[in-house]
Amino acid sequence: MTPSDLQALLPHIVVAATAVAVMLVISFYRNQTVSAVLTVAGLFAAAACLPFVWSAEADAVPPLFRVDPFGCFHIGLLLTASVAVTVFSHSYLEKYRMERGEFYILLLLSVLGALVLTVADHFISFFLGLELLSVSLYVMVAYIFTKKRAVEAGVKYLFLAAATSAFLLFGMALIYAELGTMAFPEIAAELGGGDGLRSPYLLAGTVLVVAGAGFKLSVVPFHMWTPDIYQGAPAPVTAFLATVSKACVVVVLLRFLAAFDSDAVPGLYLALTVVACASMLTGNLLALLQDNIKRILAYSSIAHFGYLLVAFVAGGPAGAMAATFYLVTYFAATLVAFGVVAYLSPSDREADTVADYRGLFWSRPGPAALLSLALFSLVGLPLTGGFMGKFFLVGAGAEARLWTLLLVLAVSSAISIYYYLRVVVAMYSSIEDTPQTRELSEPFAATPPYGNTVGAVQALLALGLLVLGLYPQPVLAMIQSVTRTF
Amino acid sequence: MLELLWLIPALPFAGFLVLVLAGNLPRAAAAVVGCASVGLSMLVALGICIQFVNSPPPGDAFTQSIWNWFETAGLSAGVAFHLDALSMVMVMVITGVGFLIHLYSTEYMEDDPGFQRFFAYLNLFVGAMLVLVLADNLVLLLLGWEGVGLCSYLLIGFWYRDSANGRAARKAFVVTRVGDTALLLGLFLLFAELGTLHIQDLLGRASEQWEPGSGVALAAALLLLGGAVGKSAQLPLQTWLPDAMAGPTPVSALIHAATMVTAGVYLIARTNALFELAPAAMLTVAIVGAVTLLAAGFAALVQSDIKRVLAYSTISQLGYMFLALGVGAWSAALFHFMTHALFKALLFLAAGALILSLHHEQNLFRMGGLRKKLPVIFWTFLIGSISLAALPLIGSGFYSKEKILWDVWISPHGGPALWAAGMAGAAITALYTFRMVFLAFFGELRTDVSHRPRGRVAFVLIVLAVLSTIGGGVELPHTFGHVTFFSDFVGTAIETQVALPPGLDAVLWALLAMASLLVVLGTLAAWYLYVKAPGIPERLASSPAGSALHRLWFSGWGFDRVYEALIVIPFRTAARINRRDAIDFIYLATAGLTRALHVVLSETQTGRLRWYALVLTTGTLALILIAFIR
Repeated sequence: MTPSDLQALLPHIVVAATAVAVMLVISFYRNQTVSAVLTVAGLFAAAACLPFVWSAEADAVPPLFRVDPFGCFHIGLLLTASVAVTVFSHSYLEKYRMERGEFYILLLLSVLGALVLTVADHFISFFLGLELLSVSLYVMVAYIFTKKRAVEAGVKYLFLAAATSAFLLFGMALIYAELGTMAFPEIAAELGGGDGLRSPYLLAGTVLVVAGAGFKLSVVPFHMWTPDIYQGAPAPVTAFLATVSKACVVVVLLRFLAAFDSDAVPGLYLALTVVACASMLTGNLLALLQDNIKRILAYSSIAHFGYLLVAFVAGGPAGAMAATFYLVTYFAATLVAFGVVAYLSPSDREADTVADYRGLFWSRPGPAALLSLALFSLVGLPLTGGFMGKFFLVGAGAEARLWTLLLVLAVSSAISIYYYLRVVVAMYSSIEDTPQTRELSEPFAATPPYGNTVGAVQALLALGLLVLGLYPQPVLAMIQSVTRTF
Repeated sequence: MLELLWLIPALPFAGFLVLVLAGNLPRAAAAVVGCASVGLSMLVALGICIQFVNSPPPGDAFTQSIWNWFETAGLSAGVAFHLDALSMVMVMVITGVGFLIHLYSTEYMEDDPGFQRFFAYLNLFVGAMLVLVLADNLVLLLLGWEGVGLCSYLLIGFWYRDSANGRAARKAFVVTRVGDTALLLGLFLLFAELGTLHIQDLLGRASEQWEPGSGVALAAALLLLGGAVGKSAQLPLQTWLPDAMAGPTPVSALIHAATMVTAGVYLIARTNALFELAPAAMLTVAIVGAVTLLAAGFAALVQSDIKRVLAYSTISQLGYMFLALGVGAWSAALFHFMTHALFKALLFLAAGALILSLHHEQNLFRMGGLRKKLPVIFWTFLIGSISLAALPLIGSGFYSKEKILWDVWISPHGGPALWAAGMAGAAITALYTFRMVFLAFFGELRTDVSHRPRGRVAFVLIVLAVLSTIGGGVELPHTFGHVTFFSDFVGTAIETQVALPPGLDAVLWALLAMASLLVVLGTLAAWYLYVKAPGIPERLASSPAGSALHRLWFSGWGFDRVYEALIVIPFRTAARINRRDAIDFIYLATAGLTRALHVVLSETQTGRLRWYALVLTTGTLALILIAFIR
């Protein structure tokens, strides 16, 4: 390792060091606020390292990592989202009487896993990063172990993730057996001969790797776990699951698939197309009459990553650009949405049924307005970031002439309007003063007024959502510059 | 200073946002926010105007690009403002008159429970109207156009607890939508043919690519005219304006007299190059104007509600502007727009003060003799009436109306027939205007006065009275005075003017004298009929022919009934018959199908881990198979 290698990996080192620091602090002094503040400080410090990484002479740490501007952009995105998740977790865990400091160690470790994935350029770093991310997540999902649902979710996640990890490993082994290498650049070089995938083993291996990644992205047919785990996990962890743990897989998959040309491997791209169409339709149809907001968001995330796969199938710089921009807008909207859910949840249960949100605007206009904005963005309404995100996806798809995918995207987006607006309508409908509704709105009366850090973070995210929709040019230019290499 | 252009529309929008988002403000605070936003906007506009006149920017126009949303396939959706003499005149009138009306409203609306909402709507309106006149592309113009339509709807129905007001608001909205649809089609046509909606580029390309008199130019101009006719309440879409008087009187003054209803005039003036390519469309504009000014004038003669008289007179005066536009007298139309904004706002505001003083009495026949009781209202109303009637030399209306009549006479697009319509209209105008004055302020006292206008109302009335008297001084006929400041200024934006052929001085003097004589005769007739011998109108109205005519005119030529019978009732019947049709079935079936699919798919979410693992594994196998099939 040379000094410039260390410089390139500075954010990872800082996050790892923060995890150690939090652990040490907990052994001497237990206070969840201290742990949370330390975590946020560590994440900020890691983000502050990004300029040095950018200016590092070698952008690759061969053979495992490739710390290029594309990776740096995503490191920044993941760190920002992690800060938001930390803030939400702090206010959420305040409501529980249990040991809370360890949560932040787990959070930092899974962030570290995600960061490793964003710069992974090799099967080894891919797998290590993924496992680091997942193992911490199993515990985070089941962290509130007094709740049966949470433990159930954690166990389900563990079993299914372990199974898909096996798929992933098997796929990697098949590819290694055929090509004799596990580094992405060398795989690309081996495949560059132009005769497509030489053997059935290679093709099967590639599909298995995609399946391993697809499980994390919760696309059909690897989606079954999503609603149960989203619903059972604490809301901030769900936010983490929905954003950070997916984006890093998107990044590594983009890097991996860049080696596979759609003309050379039509079978792989057909499989991806099928997965994308099935995800868009299934996700939106499952959400249609759902009454639980966390499940709605789970199903909608299935659909959203179906949309995102359109960019994968399109490929090239336009595809990578569209995927990255979509991730940014999806991040902001999802974090706001889960942030509101986390914030409104009382200690005995999650505020996650649509009935909980009936008339919310009239009792708590702030959270209601933020949640509406987030949902509008997820619908893809103009003037929000979600619209621009979808706009570029459709643009990339149209450039690659993927008419079937675009048709399915349009139809399923139309379906999605119904269930998002159902929540919005519920929030703005007036409350009849019946004992039942009074009981429902009672937990919200106990939540603190909306002026704290959580509110500020959510307001900032919501502002970002508006800026992305109204004036996307700066972010767009940045993303275009980092995705040029694809 | 010019760089501050964006502030002019931004300030009222900011005021609107504050009023909407700040929760319940004290009345004083709401009034300050509402007035200050428009007042500051007026000051900025004034500063820009002074600089614009003293040292005109290159090309006599200034463009400021604010924000570019996105640009794709040649359609650039952005916000950019274009300031030239035309928009400058509009901006000055909108902010100036707008501010005065805001100030007036702080007293007029002081007891209203919806005080803050009122100012929020008014600010939104001013902002949208400014966007309309400053827009440099037609998309943005349309945004402002629809924005003012929305505010008009909200403000007509401001007292929404009375369902009649809601009906009037809906009528205004729907009838103007008919015109808006034509406008929208016009925009589609222009974009399809010329590939841009940027106004200056579009006009340039139109002049290059289209032959004068070509069919496509005619179609585009007529579609734009459709929009203008709806917004400016010209025949055949004029029916909404009299009903729009259901709104509070400051709204009638601001939106339905001074500013929004002139958006159609602005649109035609803005796209004048397009209309000059289509002489037939120009002629249509002139005929629409001439017919409207006469029809509305007759209707105004018999109304009993003072606000309806003023509403019909607004339609009629807008008719004059259309007449001027139709003969290519662009600066005359704008000049009349400016003076009309001043004196009509004055008349409405004075009428509003009058109505408020009389326990919300709007019927002219229950007023009378108020000359001594309400001197401020009487004098200011009289000054406004003199301008409206165009009594020689005194009011500003005289100068602008004479300019129109002249230009109609000498313009190659005009002619004696159009001119005669304008002349007849002038006499009718004088008649109905002074009928109003004599009925309300002369004769015997019929009502008691509950309260008198105080500081702000009186101040605004006096300021407007002064302005509408001296406002005509910016343009004096060349036969006396010869001031051409206004037309020179407007000429920097619209080059083609009605040229004055030499050696017509004697004719022009004669025209001037004839017009003045007609106006004076009209005024005297009003005095004779409503002061000297008040029995005559009643006797006329009770004769069989007279009463039929009275009914016809009173209902505004019965347009409402015709539309009811020809459009509303057949449409409703068709809608009722067609309630469950095949198209509904398509939607219901789609919804049913999605629901059914949802139910089926939900069955797969069992919550059982072994089932999940099975789906995962078979799914992966299926994907591998799919990959191998290709």
